[in-house]
Amino acid sequence: METRRGFLKKTLGGAALLAAAGAVPLALRKTQLRAARQPLRFFTPAEYSVFAAVAERVLARGPWQVPPELAGALRSRPPAPAPSEVDVAGKADAFLAPLDAASAKELKQLLALFDNALFSVLTGGPPRPFTRMSPVQQDEHLERWATSRMAVRRTGFQALKRLSAAVYYGAPETYASVGYPGPPDELVRTVNAARGRP
Amino acid sequence: MSGIVRGDQVGKDLLVTPDVCIVGSGPGGAIVASRLAEAGARVVVLEEGGHHGKDEFDMQEATAYPRLYQDRGNRATADLSISVLQGRAVGGGTVVNWTTSFRTPDDVLAFWRDKEGAALTPEVLRPHFEEVERRLGIQKVDLEEVNANNRALYDGCKKLGWSVDTISRNVRGCLRTGYCGMGCPVDAKQSAALTYLPDAVSRGATVYADCRVRRIEWSGKRAHAVIGEVLHPGTQEQTGRTVRVEPRIVVVSGGALNSPALLLRSGLAQGAVGRKTWLHPAVAMLALYREPIEGFYGAPQSVASHHFAQRGTDAGFFLEAAPVHPMLAGLAFPGFGPQMTGQMGLLPHVSVSVALMIDGFGDGEEGGTVTLRPDGGPRLDYPQGPRHFECFRASMKALARAHLANGALRLSSLHVPAVTVTSEKDLAALAAAPLGPNRCGVFTAHQMGGCRMGADPARSVVNPELRHHFVENLWVADGSVFPTGLGVNPMESIYAVSSWAAQHVRSALARA
Repeated sequence: METRRGFLKKTLGGAALLAAAGAVPLALRKTQLRAARQPLRFFTPAEYSVFAAVAERVLARGPWQVPPELAGALRSRPPAPAPSEVDVAGKADAFLAPLDAASAKELKQLLALFDNALFSVLTGGPPRPFTRMSPVQQDEHLERWATSRMAVRRTGFQALKRLSAAVYYGAPETYASVGYPGPPDELVRTVNAARGRP
Repeated sequence: MSGIVRGDQVGKDLLVTPDVCIVGSGPGGAIVASRLAEAGARVVVLEEGGHHGKDEFDMQEATAYPRLYQDRGNRATADLSISVLQGRAVGGGTVVNWTTSFRTPDDVLAFWRDKEGAALTPEVLRPHFEEVERRLGIQKVDLEEVNANNRALYDGCKKLGWSVDTISRNVRGCLRTGYCGMGCPVDAKQSAALTYLPDAVSRGATVYADCRVRRIEWSGKRAHAVIGEVLHPGTQEQTGRTVRVEPRIVVVSGGALNSPALLLRSGLAQGAVGRKTWLHPAVAMLALYREPIEGFYGAPQSVASHHFAQRGTDAGFFLEAAPVHPMLAGLAFPGFGPQMTGQMGLLPHVSVSVALMIDGFGDGEEGGTVTLRPDGGPRLDYPQGPRHFECFRASMKALARAHLANGALRLSSLHVPAVTVTSEKDLAALAAAPLGPNRCGVFTAHQMGGCRMGADPARSVVNPELRHHFVENLWVADGSVFPTGLGVNPMESIYAVSSWAAQHVRSALARA
């Protein structure tokens, strides 16, 4: 069975071979950098920027085929904070800081490959890093990874998607936008009373 | 020293020489500790996770998963195709599970006896189940207590004439908050941390929290020592202190995945260690309802249907509900961008039901394999094959039919891309959607096997009394000893089987 661990080695190896055959300038196109709010503990500035760009598209809002019966419920929600307002990439950086060395290496390889212009071309995408694509191109890029015939790219997509979603929806400031009131007030009062707090 | 000792309370390297050292404080380790301490043995328990109480349970997923789950909530198969929810704390999975309590089905025990030479019968286990049910307050849920998320599944099954019932839960004074998975904020859930571990401590046992066991030292047929490294309670980084335990008997109760990994780290790779790991791999369907469901409140699980547990030569499955809090939902909901965020915006209207495949009963079925990661932790591989795909398709169809019968507006699968179902005519598309690693979300909250019990040392790890086949003073007592999946939620079975095993450990202590 192909595994997450095997994959990055294989795909990176393949990419390196093709790069050596003459496409080096494409492979070296640079990540579009964004400034982090806090000093980074896990990501490099480039990795932070790639992840922030991924999170923006994973968590993008837009037209969706809502059942007519529920359109009102959806309209009644307060606006969802942008991923950057929740600092999804910064929170992910803090969450990932204690990651074991082997997993950390893999995730970093994944982010590099995801933003690699040459790899994008080799897999049917535009000749530029993910961070320099238009939003439409970025969504197509994510879709190609999500539905790829290569199990390893599907794994990569899931890793990035789940991390984005977990960090964003785990943040209390996003609760109202999904209609989640949080722990019920009455319960919080009961619990606090039992703990002797106001 | 007795009581529960945190990592920051261990100021120097320790050497302790009890009668018994138990590795892990989940249901298996806790009940063995309690039984042996009651019998007068000097017991030490080493637990990697922290000791957390209700004051720390803030009902926030972002706090609970990193603190109370293995790999900080990130555990998965190596290819990320199956997400693994597994507890990590003093009390183990009982601190975070959803309280669903079942006895081991008789036919499963019969299968273990016939195929593996196991010794367990319903009669042998009955007194253990009865005691566990008393101690943990296990009682059947009244239908009136069922939340809308569970009720949707229940009513859908009823409308189709499928067998379905309320389940039993280990709670006392439950407020039905819905936060079982994040640690019960009101101590209603009767976890091992509130029951068998305090029982053991009151009889003189010592529990070292924040203590990760690196290896068991052994030679010939004897285990000599258990080596633990002490972790800082907050950061879980090593403090540099060690706890060396030199007991007469070692009981490994780290749970499926961690127990086989410990044996492998210790060079105890004989037999089937790490092999035939079972997960009850689960697929889910999201059902949208016109009326709010609010699946984030109320007892997370209160009904189950075993209507499809027996399906001839195909794998059986059973149906249950899953809580619908935003972070877990965000991890599971299909797609990305507007497809995911749109569905998330309707969270209060989503009912989530899961179908758990009963794995381990097929001819030649291998299940998962535990090996070691570079850092020494367990690496899990669990290939999905035709038997899984057939079961997943039948499972998703059953879940969709139940919710359609109950009036759901629309269902969505967790395929990539998701399949939408609004009527029975869409079921063909659901069945045709591709499956395979990361083509459809699969989860496990039930890990079993990897140190299976059996008479044949080549096919198992421990003998029918749960003693290691080769190391005579080493026992395993947790879900890892199960030769197959159970077909029911495993907590109560782990308690009862481990309670039974404690009798054999006690006899061995008397002989030693």
